[in-house]
Amino acid sequence: MNKNPSFKDILKKGALIYNPVLVQLVGLCPVVAASTTFVQAAALSVAMCIELFVACFAASAFLRNIPRWMRVPVYFLIGIMFVCPVLYYFETYSLINISLGMKIYIPLTAINSVVAVHCEQFAVKNSVRLALYDAAASGIGVSVIFLITGAVREILGNATFAGFAVNIPVTLRGMTLPFGCLILLGFLAAGLKAFTAKYFPVREEKEEAAEATAAEEVPETNPVPTAEEFASSDLDEFLKTLGIEIPAEEDGKK
Amino acid sequence: MKMISDLLITALFTVFIQNLVLSSGLGMSEAIRVSTRPGTFGRFALMISGFSVVTSVICSLINTVSGFASLPFAGKAAVYAGVLAGVYIIAALIMKIVFRASDKLLGTFGIAALNTLVFAVPFINESAAYSFADAIGSGIGAGIAFVLAAALISKGSEALERNESIPEAFRGTPSMLIYVGLLSLAFAGFADSTLFA
Repeated sequence: MNKNPSFKDILKKGALIYNPVLVQLVGLCPVVAASTTFVQAAALSVAMCIELFVACFAASAFLRNIPRWMRVPVYFLIGIMFVCPVLYYFETYSLINISLGMKIYIPLTAINSVVAVHCEQFAVKNSVRLALYDAAASGIGVSVIFLITGAVREILGNATFAGFAVNIPVTLRGMTLPFGCLILLGFLAAGLKAFTAKYFPVREEKEEAAEATAAEEVPETNPVPTAEEFASSDLDEFLKTLGIEIPAEEDGKK
Repeated sequence: MKMISDLLITALFTVFIQNLVLSSGLGMSEAIRVSTRPGTFGRFALMISGFSVVTSVICSLINTVSGFASLPFAGKAAVYAGVLAGVYIIAALIMKIVFRASDKLLGTFGIAALNTLVFAVPFINESAAYSFADAIGSGIGAGIAFVLAAALISKGSEALERNESIPEAFRGTPSMLIYVGLLSLAFAGFADSTLFA
C-alpha cells in the first residue's frame, strides 16, 4: 500500500481512469447544458477549478468536525462566495460574451455534484495536501471534458472555433443542444473505456461492478477512505471512497 | 381560478414540454443516481417539489423588493443561493430536532435540496417573469420532472443491461449516456428551443 501517494498517482486515477464526468457521471449539468462553445467551456472550467480548490481546502482544513448534513450547504456557500465574484468580473469587464444561460450555469457550478462528492468522500478525510491534489486531478478531469465537448460542439454546431470561422461542409445544430452533448459524451465514455481496458486492465476486470454502481446514491455510513486506498486501490476500494457499494443482486448476476 | 390554471399550466409545461432534467440537464447526475432506486422516486418527488416551491416562492417575493432588479446578476445569484441554503438548513434542523431524523434521511434531504435543478428554478422564474402562481407551478413541476426523468432512465437502463448485442466498449455508462441523449432529443422536439434564449 502506498501511504504517501504522489500527485501522479492521484492524477492518473482521479482525472483519467475514474474521470468524474465519463465514469462517475457527476457534474453532467454544466457540461451538457453550458459547454456549447470553447470559450464558455473554458470559463466554466475556471469556475469549476476555483470552486473545487477552495471547497476541498476548506473541507480538509476546517470542516472535519461539522456534521455531514451541515457540511454540504457550507461547500455550496463557500463555492458561491468565490464563483460570484468570478461571474461579476466576467460580467463587468466583458472578458467574454456571456449569454443569460451561461450566467446562470456559472453559479450552478457551486452546487455541482463533483464538488460535493470530492469534498465529502475524500477531502474531509485526508490531509490538505492530498485534498488539493485530488481537487487538481478532478478539476483537470472535468476541465478536459469541458474543453473537448466545447470545442467539438462549437465546430460541429456553429462551424466556428473560439469565435473564428471553421470551414466544414455541414453544421449539425443539434450539437449545441443538450442531446448532442450527451451523445458525444457517450462516445467519449466508450473511447475512455476502451483505452483504460487496454492500458489499465484492473479496471476491465471490475467494469461491471463500476457501471452497476456508478449511479448509486451515496450512503451515509462509509468505511473511512484513506489516501493510500485511493492511490493503490482497485476499483472496489475506489468506489468505497466514493461511498458506493456494490448491490448484492449485481454480484449475483456475475 | 386563474391562479390555479396558471399553476397547473406551468407545472405541466415544466414536466412535459420543457422537462428541466432532460431538456436542460439540470439535476441530471442526481436523476441518474436515483434511477437505480425506483422505490425512492415518490420521496424525491415530494422533497424536490417542496424545496423548489419554498425556494421559488421566497425568491419571487425577493424579486419584488425595490432595487433588487438592479443588482448585478452575480448579486442575485448570491441571494438565491443564500435562500436555498437557508431553506435547507431550517428544514434539516426541523427534521433533526422535531422528527429525530436519521443522518441517512438527512443525507437524502441534502441530495434533494442542494442540486442544480432546485437552485435553477428561481433563475428560470426570474428570466421567464413568472407570476407567483407560476413560481409555485414551476416548483411542483421541477419535482415531477425529476421523477419522470429518473423513471425513464431507470426503465431504459434495465433494457440496456439485458441487451447482449451492445458492443463491449459501449456497455454500461456509454450506452446509458447515449440513451439519455436520445431521451433529451425527444424533449428537445417538444421544447423546440434551449431553455434560456
